Amino acid sequence: MKAEYAWLSLYLATVLLATLVHDPLWLALGLVAVLLLSGRQAPALLRRSLRVILPFNLAVSLGYLLLAHLHAIPPWETLLRINLRVLAITLLTFLFIARVNLFRALAFSPTLTWLLGLAYSQAMSFARAHADFRLALVSRSIVRPRLRDRYRASAAAAAWFMDKGLASARETAQALRARGFFGD
Amino acid sequence: MIELAGISHRYNGAPALVDIQFSIAAGEKLVLLGANGAGKSTLLKILDGLIHPDTGSYRYKGEPIDPRRLKAPALNRRFRAEVALLFQNPDAMLFNPTVYDEIAFGPRQLGLTDIDARVRHWAGVMGLDNMLDRLPFSLSGGEKQKLALAALLANDPQLLLLDEPAAALDPRSTGWLVDFLADLPCTVLTTTHNLSLAPEFGSRVLVLGEDHRLIHDGPIEAFLADPERLVAANLVHSHRHRHGALEHRHYHLHDWS
Repeated sequence: MKAEYAWLSLYLATVLLATLVHDPLWLALGLVAVLLLSGRQAPALLRRSLRVILPFNLAVSLGYLLLAHLHAIPPWETLLRINLRVLAITLLTFLFIARVNLFRALAFSPTLTWLLGLAYSQAMSFARAHADFRLALVSRSIVRPRLRDRYRASAAAAAWFMDKGLASARETAQALRARGFFGD
Repeated sequence: MIELAGISHRYNGAPALVDIQFSIAAGEKLVLLGANGAGKSTLLKILDGLIHPDTGSYRYKGEPIDPRRLKAPALNRRFRAEVALLFQNPDAMLFNPTVYDEIAFGPRQLGLTDIDARVRHWAGVMGLDNMLDRLPFSLSGGEKQKLALAALLANDPQLLLLDEPAAALDPRSTGWLVDFLADLPCTVLTTTHNLSLAPEFGSRVLVLGEDHRLIHDGPIEAFLADPERLVAANLVHSHRHRHGALEHRHYHLHDWS
């Protein structure tokens, strides 16, 4: 338990450090260090990190590019800094989750353990539901579904998750209130 | 029609199915029983070619079903047209803008010419004919279940896999479903953990134990009359009964959810 707590502290300190470092070279070195620490998992973790940050970073980078163009400032160092930092922190987070038992790391606080339990059970149930949405489309598709059908399936899934998420959050809040969590 | 041999599957290292072996003849009506987490849904997804077992073989009409073979367009098209799975959560299956489009999705993919007649027929059978313009998302749980079933049946499947089809239905609709499935001219495999309904879905039962192995394959009456096997499969429960001053405890077959 102490080891997990130490890893959690080290992880949080490293994330903080990554937000204080501004030189892209040091950030790149940090990224390489995390990749080396990942060992055999490095390619899979890198793929996963890139997939997760791609939409957000792309939107931010394109927005910044436009802004830099309008203000006639060189964008490249800032873009490199932002993207390297986000990638390094995301990769480090995935590595941390893969290697450290979060429940043991947060065992020092019953409240945090409880919140982690709630979040974890929600995530697992949503992951199962997400898999079912994906498999149901495969199951119902006699030929490759058109792009329009895939968009519709994604939209239906998103609406369902939104609806379920709201209902679930409401129920969780009620359950927490019933157990005196909010102290009111 | 179906032959499974030595099927085993694990999720994140935990067993979901262990050494499953059975065959199903065309036209049979079977029930798949098992406690929650025994592997019923996983088995249905394997039979629908959605997930592939770690070990063992699955043949559909003599054709091995594996990821490589299912990539062949001709087999994929035939398999997907003939085998239909009703998911436990019907929401997962519904994504079209209207009830009409939802039922028409499969026939359109098949390139059929009588789409409108099929949609109206199955909507009528399921009691959805006055909801054809409605958004599937806005229907009740039972209506969604019927819509998902109508969408599958509009393709004339030969093998129908039903995952807890009565779970979202009211008693009247459950009675209707039992009668409807009995008359359906195709092979049907239905999962349930409701023992009182099980004999209505088929005369042959497959039972998954808590160790994820097939612990029974045979007539359902014989299984339901064997308390030891029911207890072993965690399909019965016991609780205290109070009859005035008298109190006793015994196992029950009645539904618990």
